[in-house]
Amino acid sequence: MRFGIFGLIIAALTLSACDAGPSGDGAASGGDEGKMLIVFSSRHYDSDYALYKAFEEETGIDVRTIEADGDLLVERLKADGERSPADVIVTVDAGRLWRAEQEALFAPLESASLNETVPAGMRHPDGLWYGLAKRARVIVYAKDRVNADQLTGYETLADPAFKGKVCARSSGNIYNISLLAALVDRWGTEKAQAWASGVANNFARDPLGGDTDQIKAVAAGECDIALVNHYYFARLMNDDDDKKIVENLAVYWPNGEEGVHVNVSGAGVAKNAPNPDLARRFIEFAMTPKAQRFFAELTNEYPAVPSVEYSNAALEALGEFEEDPISLSKLGENQAEAQRLFDRAGWP
Amino acid sequence: MALTGGGSHMGHLIDTQLTSYVSNSAALVVITVIGTILLGVPTAWLTTRYDFPGRKLLLVALPLSLAMPSYVSAYAWMSMTAVGGPVHDATGGLFPTVSGLLGAGFVFSISFYPYTYLLARQAFESNGTNSFEAARTLGAGPWQAFRKVTLPLARPAIMAGTALVVMETLADYGTVDFLGTPTFTVGILRSWISFGDPEAAARLALILLIVTLFIFGSERLVRRQSRVAELGGRNRPQHRVVLSRSAALFVCLCCAVPVLLGLIAPGLHLLTLALETQPVRSPIDAFWGTITVASLSALVAAFLGLGAAYAARTGGWFARASVRAAHTGYAVPGAVAALGVIVILAAMQDLLDNVSPLAAPTIAGGGLVALLFAYQARFAAAAIGPCESALVRITPSMDQAARSLGANRWAVIGRIHVPLAFSGIATAALLVFVEVMKELPATMILRPLDFETLAVSAHHYASDERLAQAALPSLMLVALGLPIMILVSWLVSRRQAESAAP
Repeated sequence: MRFGIFGLIIAALTLSACDAGPSGDGAASGGDEGKMLIVFSSRHYDSDYALYKAFEEETGIDVRTIEADGDLLVERLKADGERSPADVIVTVDAGRLWRAEQEALFAPLESASLNETVPAGMRHPDGLWYGLAKRARVIVYAKDRVNADQLTGYETLADPAFKGKVCARSSGNIYNISLLAALVDRWGTEKAQAWASGVANNFARDPLGGDTDQIKAVAAGECDIALVNHYYFARLMNDDDDKKIVENLAVYWPNGEEGVHVNVSGAGVAKNAPNPDLARRFIEFAMTPKAQRFFAELTNEYPAVPSVEYSNAALEALGEFEEDPISLSKLGENQAEAQRLFDRAGWP
Repeated sequence: MALTGGGSHMGHLIDTQLTSYVSNSAALVVITVIGTILLGVPTAWLTTRYDFPGRKLLLVALPLSLAMPSYVSAYAWMSMTAVGGPVHDATGGLFPTVSGLLGAGFVFSISFYPYTYLLARQAFESNGTNSFEAARTLGAGPWQAFRKVTLPLARPAIMAGTALVVMETLADYGTVDFLGTPTFTVGILRSWISFGDPEAAARLALILLIVTLFIFGSERLVRRQSRVAELGGRNRPQHRVVLSRSAALFVCLCCAVPVLLGLIAPGLHLLTLALETQPVRSPIDAFWGTITVASLSALVAAFLGLGAAYAARTGGWFARASVRAAHTGYAVPGAVAALGVIVILAAMQDLLDNVSPLAAPTIAGGGLVALLFAYQARFAAAAIGPCESALVRITPSMDQAARSLGANRWAVIGRIHVPLAFSGIATAALLVFVEVMKELPATMILRPLDFETLAVSAHHYASDERLAQAALPSLMLVALGLPIMILVSWLVSRRQAESAAP
């Protein structure tokens, strides 16, 4: 028993020692070998692990991460203040990028090469953050029950003709909030409110589960159309076991007049970054074709850099779409308003 | 600014969703309490009163559902019962999809019944079946004797178990969010996440805390009133009624139902998923990470729990009140508790920086120390309870006897209290181990760099809707929890055997 206790204490001490060790070494040495870059990320996908690994191999810099849900990351960075060890901050949603921006967690990054490769809409005007990859919010429908002609944009979800036939996840979900935030900007509060209420009235069942569950519900006949992110659909298409789920389903691009709502994952240099130079190199590396391909090929997202070529059967099959040119910071500004509209609409 | 923002936000909540948040929480508590009592109390009574084949196995198996985190159970049950899932197909769609209020109540019942079961069983064992026999000889039917005599005697223990169930139910976020039952805790998290208003979230969490304190206070009151009954008829070895063959089979099946629902069915489903899938990342690091934080916290909790129990035993009203307050950490939603810890650590850091600007150690932010602090803040209740009940058995006269024989204070603690209270302290440590193992938000945000735990890794995959990938870390979590819970059962029964000895 005693040995057990001492063993644990020693384990704890070693662990905390390891914890403090490398950061000191990194600052001292001159070459890239042994340097350490700390990434605070709310992404945890295979593409990101591939990106870290490729960066490590290319530069010899050690990448260490903390992965946690976006809002917790923001609070942690706020509380840590000047002591924060973070070099790079990565989040999955434009609203959260905006929140981090409001809390002044980013340091501006001026980079000629980034300005050249990343389209203006995919980065902050002052270089506070740069988009890594995109996800589109689309409508999935059952081919045998819905005629593609009936679908006329996001408005369709609120169309009384689809009463009792619509599935969507809960309103607390950030993808839904960002979509409605964009619609508030597009249509104004009144129409956006009417839309949210219309969709809530059309639900086939109370919101439940994630986007994949909505797709499965359409496949199972519980509903005819569902609001989901394209990348869950693409993942099912690319999986040998799961592709039979989407056999009789299709994706409708709600291009409408204004285009499809697209959300972005982005990265920025942390304001108190111990190694701002390494952070810049990391973000620049993430925009190279090699790194951008990871997002398309491993996570089925659309790369932020449009010229990048990739091979992904599902994304090719889904085809082209028009992107909503909204300024991404609007998604953050309208976020609270969007949740209020959802609450009033009774969208659980 | 924060005040006005919070104020208008509260106004909005009251106008829109607040009633549904509150009514969902209330309904969920009612369903879960009924469910856990129905699953926990009869099984406790049947395994105490009767002897039947499989009883020994069930004694070990019944508490094990606690090793299955409720959010994992929710993922598994929803995927089993959704259209196309194995249960749905096998029953031809008769078994409804686990979702909404009833679904969440079902998942909580099968996950939390061990709290009720463990405490009820302890009460049945220590009160003995003698009172039941006595009632029978006086002409009461079996049901009447159980209802009028046995149940009232065990009521304080059942209430104590139920209080834990209520707190877990109110604080949960993962399960209710996934199953589409927006409760008060979902409201708290939305105030923070969607409205960007952590202060409003903290205020709402405070309301939840006060409600819980109230529930907990009434539970204490009831327990105090019936303390005499607890001491009454124990210390008598049990003799159990041997059942006829068909009755034994029936009882055995009844007692197996909770284990089947809470552990075996979801476990098997996860196992099939895990076997079909190639893991993306090896879970070995996460496994060791979990063991490290859970065992360190268990150790710290044993010391703190004992200290708190001492304070409650010997201290004044302030000490007792602080210990009660520490209990309520259980009822705070994990993410809000994590937020609180971040803020407290930052404040402490500022203080240290001011005192000695150069030599101040780093405590803010993440790291093992911060993490251990967060766990203790959250799970003190699990540690204090068993320590307290262990110390109750050591009467002041034992202290006096030892002191009169020349032992000093430390010798009394070391040679009398610790050996006598050992199983209670060990139970406390193991329960904290299991809780820490399952804990998510604080672990996620405060862990050291590149440090994985099984719960975090399962959450990452599940939140990305990759249940098959989440299956392996979830299963390992359960596998790790199983031996711990078996040890807890063994310690509890040892304690009962000790107190039953003449």
